[in-house]
Amino acid sequence: MSGIIDISNIANSYIPVAIILIVALLMPPMTMFLVKSLSPRSKSSAKYTTYEAGSLPIGSARIQFNVGYYLYAIAFVLFDIEVLFLYPWATIFKGHGITEIATVEMLVFIFVVLFGYVYLVKKEALKWMK
Amino acid sequence: MIMMIQIEDIIYNPLLRGIFGLCLMGGVFLGAMAVVWFERKLSADIQQRYGPMRTGFHGLLQLVADAIKLFTKEDIIPKNADRLLFVSAPILLMGSVFLMLVAIPFGAIIINGETYPIVATDMDISILYIEAVSAISVIGIFMIAYSSNNKYSLLGAFRNFARMIGYEVPLGICIVSVAIMAGSLNIIEIAQAQSPLWFIIKQPIGFFVFFIALMADMGRLPFDQNESEEELIAGWITEYTGMRFGLGFFAEYIHLILGSMLIVLLFLGGWNLPAALTSNVILGIILPTAFYLGKVALVILTIIMIRWAVPRYRIDQVVDLSWKRLLPLALLNLGWVIALGLLGV
Repeated sequence: MSGIIDISNIANSYIPVAIILIVALLMPPMTMFLVKSLSPRSKSSAKYTTYEAGSLPIGSARIQFNVGYYLYAIAFVLFDIEVLFLYPWATIFKGHGITEIATVEMLVFIFVVLFGYVYLVKKEALKWMK
Repeated sequence: MIMMIQIEDIIYNPLLRGIFGLCLMGGVFLGAMAVVWFERKLSADIQQRYGPMRTGFHGLLQLVADAIKLFTKEDIIPKNADRLLFVSAPILLMGSVFLMLVAIPFGAIIINGETYPIVATDMDISILYIEAVSAISVIGIFMIAYSSNNKYSLLGAFRNFARMIGYEVPLGICIVSVAIMAGSLNIIEIAQAQSPLWFIIKQPIGFFVFFIALMADMGRLPFDQNESEEELIAGWITEYTGMRFGLGFFAEYIHLILGSMLIVLLFLGGWNLPAALTSNVILGIILPTAFYLGKVALVILTIIMIRWAVPRYRIDQVVDLSWKRLLPLALLNLGWVIALGLLGV
């Protein structure tokens, strides 16, 4: 609030994050190590085939196909970045004496993105492709 | 006075806070086990069955039995799978939920009118941070599906992508609306800002959109198209067995608990109680946390009941719902919040 960012304070608030991150990264391998030492093992080739309800899979699963929603993905990038721009504005909206001017500026911005949204809907870009 | 300084030192020591976060991590694991048992019993009740009954009183020890089973099951990696990705994908899922957990308060202690939230770390941008790390789990799900080299897994993961890119946007706009009303991105300040009036009353549309979008974000039915066990075997997690499956499963349930906490913190008033109730030292320690966790339990109950009452949507219906209904509604809510802010409410 004072406008001066205390670096040591910010670093302090991320030390617990680092501790938890290390534990979270170590936990699955440790669990799997425990499982390895506890569980029985028996080899049979059928056990290691890809599960497809009894039939053998034909070809690799990593094929290229039309995902049918790539236009959504493009729209998603657009709107997600829009939301990202809203965050800093949201924090200074109140109590800084700039509420009116901030609102006008942000409404112009939202209107431009909204115009893009209406254009996408009218162009039927947001329609599931068969 | 010296005593007070020492307490402050202990509370704000980052290393101790990290260790405290590990305790919360253990607690949330136990909570997830309880929720699994609760969901099994409740779903059985809805379907007029008993559910687990044999192990312990009303199947209470079933979870211990399940844990033993998961730990002693053979670990199978299919020979077509990409081993490195296959092994490391659950780390991403677990990392995502545990990084969320760091910034989410688990309650608060109120002593002499001062509020001490029970949280591992307090950062200025915690809500933005929570949203960011919760999005990592999508990558984990895709890694699981891609490394499995199974067509059903891959279909599930693509559905997951289609759903996530639709629901992240309304979710983000609702969070912005809440941040405008609270004037902060700090989740503790957001909870405190709802002291007289909860945000669900001030922006009901926002709550409605946020609740649906968060359910889609957590992959709960009617939004579990990535799993849809009737058509895709088990969707993205088909090739995972034993404990590796357990890790993904637990990550989902921890995400459910943390998501319910987010709903309570952002819209249902957090731990705020009238000051008269918390003036007593003992009541101030117990009541706010109990009130908060009680509301979290109610939200979890609601989400579980919705799961067993509403059938699953088709994936194109889900995507349409997010882009053509929830997104305009979220923007409408944003406009409503801006209007309230200009009026000085």
